Amino acid sequence: MEIFTDTLNGLIDTSGFIGLGWQNAIMILLSFVLFYLAIVKQYEPLLMLPIAFGMLLTNLPLTGLYHPELWDPATNPYFAPEYVENGANILVNFTKETSLDYGRVLHDGGLLDLLYLGVKLQIYPPLIFLGIGAMTDFGPLIANPKSFLLGAAAQGGIFFTFLGACLLNMTGIADFTLKEAASIAIIGGADGPTAIYLTSKLAPQLLGSIAVAAYSYMALVPVIQPPIMRLLTTEKERSVRMGQLREVSKLEKVVFPIAVTVIVSLVVPSAAPLVGILMFGNLMKESGVCDRLVKTATNELMNIITIFLGITVGATAVAENFLSWKTIFIIVLGLVAFCVGTACGVLLGKLMYLISGKKINPLIGSAGVSAVPMAARVSQKEGQKTDPSNFLLMHAMGPNVAGVIGSAVAAGVLLSILGSPV
Amino acid sequence: MNNAVVLLSESGSVIDRLQGLGDAKKQLADPDYWSSVGIIALTGILVVFLILAILIFVFWLMGTIFKAIDKSKSAKAEAKKNTEAAAAKPVVSSVEAEPAVGEDYTDDEEIVAVISAAIAAYTEQSFTIKSIRKHDSRARSAWSTAGISENTRPF
Repeated sequence: MEIFTDTLNGLIDTSGFIGLGWQNAIMILLSFVLFYLAIVKQYEPLLMLPIAFGMLLTNLPLTGLYHPELWDPATNPYFAPEYVENGANILVNFTKETSLDYGRVLHDGGLLDLLYLGVKLQIYPPLIFLGIGAMTDFGPLIANPKSFLLGAAAQGGIFFTFLGACLLNMTGIADFTLKEAASIAIIGGADGPTAIYLTSKLAPQLLGSIAVAAYSYMALVPVIQPPIMRLLTTEKERSVRMGQLREVSKLEKVVFPIAVTVIVSLVVPSAAPLVGILMFGNLMKESGVCDRLVKTATNELMNIITIFLGITVGATAVAENFLSWKTIFIIVLGLVAFCVGTACGVLLGKLMYLISGKKINPLIGSAGVSAVPMAARVSQKEGQKTDPSNFLLMHAMGPNVAGVIGSAVAAGVLLSILGSPV
Repeated sequence: MNNAVVLLSESGSVIDRLQGLGDAKKQLADPDYWSSVGIIALTGILVVFLILAILIFVFWLMGTIFKAIDKSKSAKAEAKKNTEAAAAKPVVSSVEAEPAVGEDYTDDEEIVAVISAAIAAYTEQSFTIKSIRKHDSRARSAWSTAGISENTRPF
């Protein structure tokens, strides 16, 4: 009998209930909310569901799937200040970033730790971009290169939010480092992989909340954008019909990815992993000679990476990081970033409407926030509300895909200014 | 423009200092903090615009070149088509067509011929065309709507 109760006690001691704090409980409930958003509301379910499940797994105590401490350079025994002081001078030159002990991760890590390597080492976001590139038709952008301007303008939301986050710092309400401010601001790029890429480099502790905010707002584009678009445009502007786009030859479509890669990589090398791989995917598609590779990149590979990315990003949302005021600020600032980005795009659209002699419909400006193809569809819908036979979709796809390049470039700029010196 | 250039070069020189600031939190008393924040935001948006402006120029150039090539090509193709069409015309116009009360295209023999040929091929019965009118260009026909939805389905 004693043996039986001992075993039972032992079992209870090793069960999760012992380690279940109230913070974990709240996080688990939050993951249920995300399940609801993913399954019932269908907010970007392909990513939201894995993120929610990662969140659930990581907050169930003692599962050992994910160890946040492995990813915190401060807990690396070889970087402890006393170790350095004790004469381990060789390590003094190591920055905090490089002192991450990957050997320890491989040795002690759980499943999600190992998968998280792909986020930490910036493998997943570019691979997602490979698939996106292989699915994207840059034709509308090539036919109307002016769309690039709208894609750039919509990135204004990123930099405005960056200033806003710093302003919150000044008033003492929030307590962000510049790196954190930049990571929050990139939500305005409306591009999940870019946001994850930048955040995992600059502020990995915020990865969970930023990814959730970014994907939620991307799903909410059809709700967030229309009121801003209607507020900033007149009925006359919204009813502008744009002429047919010229046909783009195959040669142009093949030259495009190569030229973009060369130009962007030369000017902002830190944007090359995103833009370069995006364009590689596109070249595979447009060349027409790599059908099998394109199929893999857009289907199997992309799906596999999406699963890994989602579940590990969700796993970083441990209670200590997530349950803080910062998360609230991230959600508010992310919304600001989206709204300002949309407004900047529409306003530049208005300017182009005036300059072009009323030939450009300002509604396509809002599509510059990337969020392909949702934002372009919103422009199309709003256009049709004013004039049911107006067809803006292809015109909006131009700024839309330009926005993808624009936000990757913006991330590259922020990274080269704020990233750790190599 | 000059200002922007100065700013860019300035920001180049402060990049080292900014990188040191990355982890700093309480720099608020430091006037450098705000100038740095301002510089980051400004260089950021300027560089984004700069790169995309370069791309616009490159692809505008590419577009004009290709348009010019296309034009010369299509001019040749047009010439070829014209000779072919001239040969084909009598065959098409031999299909019975009822010239109907004058609306836009009903007088245009070529269009009447093409449309009656199409209907004849499709129905294989006798029929009468009463009029051929251009549809209100603001509304889209079922066919063009179907075509558009076909072309834009991937998005």
